[in-house]
Amino acid sequence: MDNMKLAKEKVGDFLAKLGKERFRVPQETGGSSRFAPLNGESSVDFTLSNTTVPLKSLFYPQTETLYRYEVGETAMKAPGEADEMIIMGVRPCDAKALTIVDRLFSWDPKDPYYLERREKATIIGLACQEPRLNCFCTSLGGGPASTEGLDILMTDLGESFLFQPLTEKGEKICQEAGDVLVKSEDSDVQAAEKVHKDAASKIVRKIDSEGIPEKLPQLWDSQIWKKTSEPCLGCGACTFLCPTCHCFDIQDEIEGLEGRRYRVWDSCMFKEYTLHTSGHNPRPTRRERTRNRINHKYSYFVDKFGVIACVGCGRCINLCPVNVDILNILSQVKEAL
Amino acid sequence: MKENPYQPYVATIEDTWYETVGDRAVKTFKVTLDDPEARKNWSHRPGQCAMVGRLGIGESMFCISCSPTEGDFLRFSVMRAGKNTQGLHEQEVGDKITVRGPYGNSFPLEDWKGKHILTIGGGIGQAPLRPIVEYVKANLDQYAGLTMIYGARTSGDLCFRNEFEEMMKRDDISCHLTIDIEEEGWPYKVGFVPSVLMEVNPSPENTIAITCGPPIMIRFVLENLKKLNFADEQIYTTLENRMKCGFGKCGRCNAGNLYVCKDGPVFSYSTLKNVPEAFA
Amino acid sequence: MADLEKLRAVAKETVSRDDVKYLIGWRQGTYGFRVSPHFITEPEEADKLIFSPLCSNNLATYLTLVEKLPVPRGQEPDTRKIALMVKGCDSRAVVQQLVEQGIKRESVIIIGCPCQGVVDLAKVEEKFPAVLEQVEARWDDGKIVFKLSEGEKAVPREEVLADKCLRCRYPNPVTADTLLWEKVEAESNDEYADVGELEGKAPEERWSFWEAYFSSCIRCYSCRNVCPMCYCEDCILDRLNPTWVNRSNNISENTAFHLARAFHLAGRCIECGECERVCPVNIPLMKLNRKLTKEVREKFEYEPGTDPDSKPLQASYRPNDQENFIL
Repeated sequence: MDNMKLAKEKVGDFLAKLGKERFRVPQETGGSSRFAPLNGESSVDFTLSNTTVPLKSLFYPQTETLYRYEVGETAMKAPGEADEMIIMGVRPCDAKALTIVDRLFSWDPKDPYYLERREKATIIGLACQEPRLNCFCTSLGGGPASTEGLDILMTDLGESFLFQPLTEKGEKICQEAGDVLVKSEDSDVQAAEKVHKDAASKIVRKIDSEGIPEKLPQLWDSQIWKKTSEPCLGCGACTFLCPTCHCFDIQDEIEGLEGRRYRVWDSCMFKEYTLHTSGHNPRPTRRERTRNRINHKYSYFVDKFGVIACVGCGRCINLCPVNVDILNILSQVKEAL
Repeated sequence: MKENPYQPYVATIEDTWYETVGDRAVKTFKVTLDDPEARKNWSHRPGQCAMVGRLGIGESMFCISCSPTEGDFLRFSVMRAGKNTQGLHEQEVGDKITVRGPYGNSFPLEDWKGKHILTIGGGIGQAPLRPIVEYVKANLDQYAGLTMIYGARTSGDLCFRNEFEEMMKRDDISCHLTIDIEEEGWPYKVGFVPSVLMEVNPSPENTIAITCGPPIMIRFVLENLKKLNFADEQIYTTLENRMKCGFGKCGRCNAGNLYVCKDGPVFSYSTLKNVPEAFA
Repeated sequence: MADLEKLRAVAKETVSRDDVKYLIGWRQGTYGFRVSPHFITEPEEADKLIFSPLCSNNLATYLTLVEKLPVPRGQEPDTRKIALMVKGCDSRAVVQQLVEQGIKRESVIIIGCPCQGVVDLAKVEEKFPAVLEQVEARWDDGKIVFKLSEGEKAVPREEVLADKCLRCRYPNPVTADTLLWEKVEAESNDEYADVGELEGKAPEERWSFWEAYFSSCIRCYSCRNVCPMCYCEDCILDRLNPTWVNRSNNISENTAFHLARAFHLAGRCIECGECERVCPVNIPLMKLNRKLTKEVREKFEYEPGTDPDSKPLQASYRPNDQENFIL
């Protein structure tokens, strides 16, 4: 597959050529950023990524109708087909997170809602040039230019972007774009590689995850969980904004005579998450819930799916109002082991 | 949408009756799936569960309380506790409910052939044990024997009492009913289930013990089974947790690294003793 | 002004008492300008306690957050006290919890820290981006001084303090068992300018302002979980039987959620600003809560969390209360 180049001034043409309605790009809504349709815009603000709300919101939305019905009836209508999407400006960590969550949703029985959207989406990633303070993707098998989960990798070369197609889907997009893209030179690829290397060297915070998945259950009764969970407010921000967190709740909603069953994001840090109707709660305090969360991401998920359910994007560290820092917890774990 | 695991089947209630009454009454439902294809293709094994509910209200996970040997229907015994169960209790014969499943693993009844089966149940905990009883009863010649110990707080809290009393008439099945406190007119044992277990004093040789009931009962039954020299691999139980999807996606029912809906609900004690959250 | 030695000494003494379970204060965070709540049970741990312009957390929320587990048979319930360090705004939360009888006075020891204002982390991180090493800060006249690795940097307070601090009328704890240092003068008078700005707009403009924010709400419930006044065991916004507000995320349900919460806080919100600080999508929740606070102040001359002997607003009345909205 040939590498191509997109001049920055031609981004608008690129969007128009491929069909603006297909695109999902980082957008500012209210006081935060997320992936959303272009809505009439003709350009993309790439500085908005890494978005506050991660990429998972496009594939596994905060609220999703499972099926509709009418009150008193038993016929159930599944929602219509998913839209085709070209997602542009995705950071490699968010894309890697998708490949992690893929494993869960493809586990038998497959989740048709999520998988249909995955099939119909093409992901154009943007290599990071300035990793943020709390990024630690390189400690978890990722990196500012990691290609996992991407169909095309874009790198900012100053006046233009290098487009490196990685999959058939990516190749197809490059072909569809036709003459809006031009072929790149070898020097462009070299320049991109330098950008990637420089970015990787700027990552400061690290953790050595070797041995953690296998040995974490040994620390079940450790004081670490009590100490690190004491300031936790149970607010849920970490789980909602984590690109690999996938837990959900299923509820029914009725409006007049129309009803639907839908699923919404849920958080294992909420007290109600494991509350039995009898009143019994197997995880009654934040200590148990924090312990479960870290164990799930760094141990149980590895047991089941072979990969740590964390990509090092740093959102949980940036957004936690009480500075519960996962790198801090992990370094305490490493020390205790 | 083809093959949507979130979409349930519709089932009609063929028969329903109250097992116990009061605030936390238990009502049993005997249902058949409406769609003939679904009915034909349905197959479940003792131990498996299903998500049962009503559209507009919600779903909850219940063990399928009947053995496939009993016929072309499904049975659920529902204790009234919250919104979903209240909604189910309101349904009568002819009404519709939704069923999704079967989910989870099942009791390894094939492996247990030739062994003596001992079930120890308490209260509503007998519901997941009932399919074992029915299956073994229907294939008694393939097993070394069947012993049942079942107890509840009062005689009014006993489930399937008439079925037990039928079985007590047989001499090829050993059946012990007990209630916690003396009651006038109660002809059977009096005492907590774990104590009755010690009284019955079953031999661990070539025996599999399966227990289910309130957490406190399970704790003492496990202790007593160990006192009676049962090995960890000979003891089985079923776990329960709050569930939403029922097939390992929503994330909430895990005990340690085991999803109760998918890796369970049937677990042997040799698995559970290394999982601290199992008996939380 | 913040006498750290005295703070740590008092903390050490308090936590050594037999009748104190633990003490909650602040300590330096894991990177940059962060600060984390610090729970201590041993006197040695008090050495990490700090008080600086970075201490934005309202620790009063932990009084009602602590999980009350059932007491095992044969054991007595633990009635030891919890010691809490509070700024002015935080103390109002404790007082309001006392007024509502959410906590008992004898179960808490209040250690008061008169405060000259805390920073808005977003403003600070914009001024000093990408600072990884932990930073110390202090007040110095009208400036905030940050001790960075390359030296001390002083910044005028108006540039980095949280908006709520620039209009603060309660810099000193309203009540305290111990006041750690001398009181601070309240310089500002709050005219509710931020609310007035929105009030002056036409209804359509006001709605499109809020619509943009409520659409971006992800229903993470952080605002409610951090609020020291939101401590209902069974929050109405979580209930399913009946479902007052659906959990689905759309403009209708999100608006209902925020308005319901704002109304449930009317006459109770003590304007600590934590809800706005923790919101991951930056919804200006304080504008909403302060609109109701302003109404309560104007119509009933009532300010929650200022008088431990007062009654809650909705549990009291005066014969000359306004009735023009019903009659």
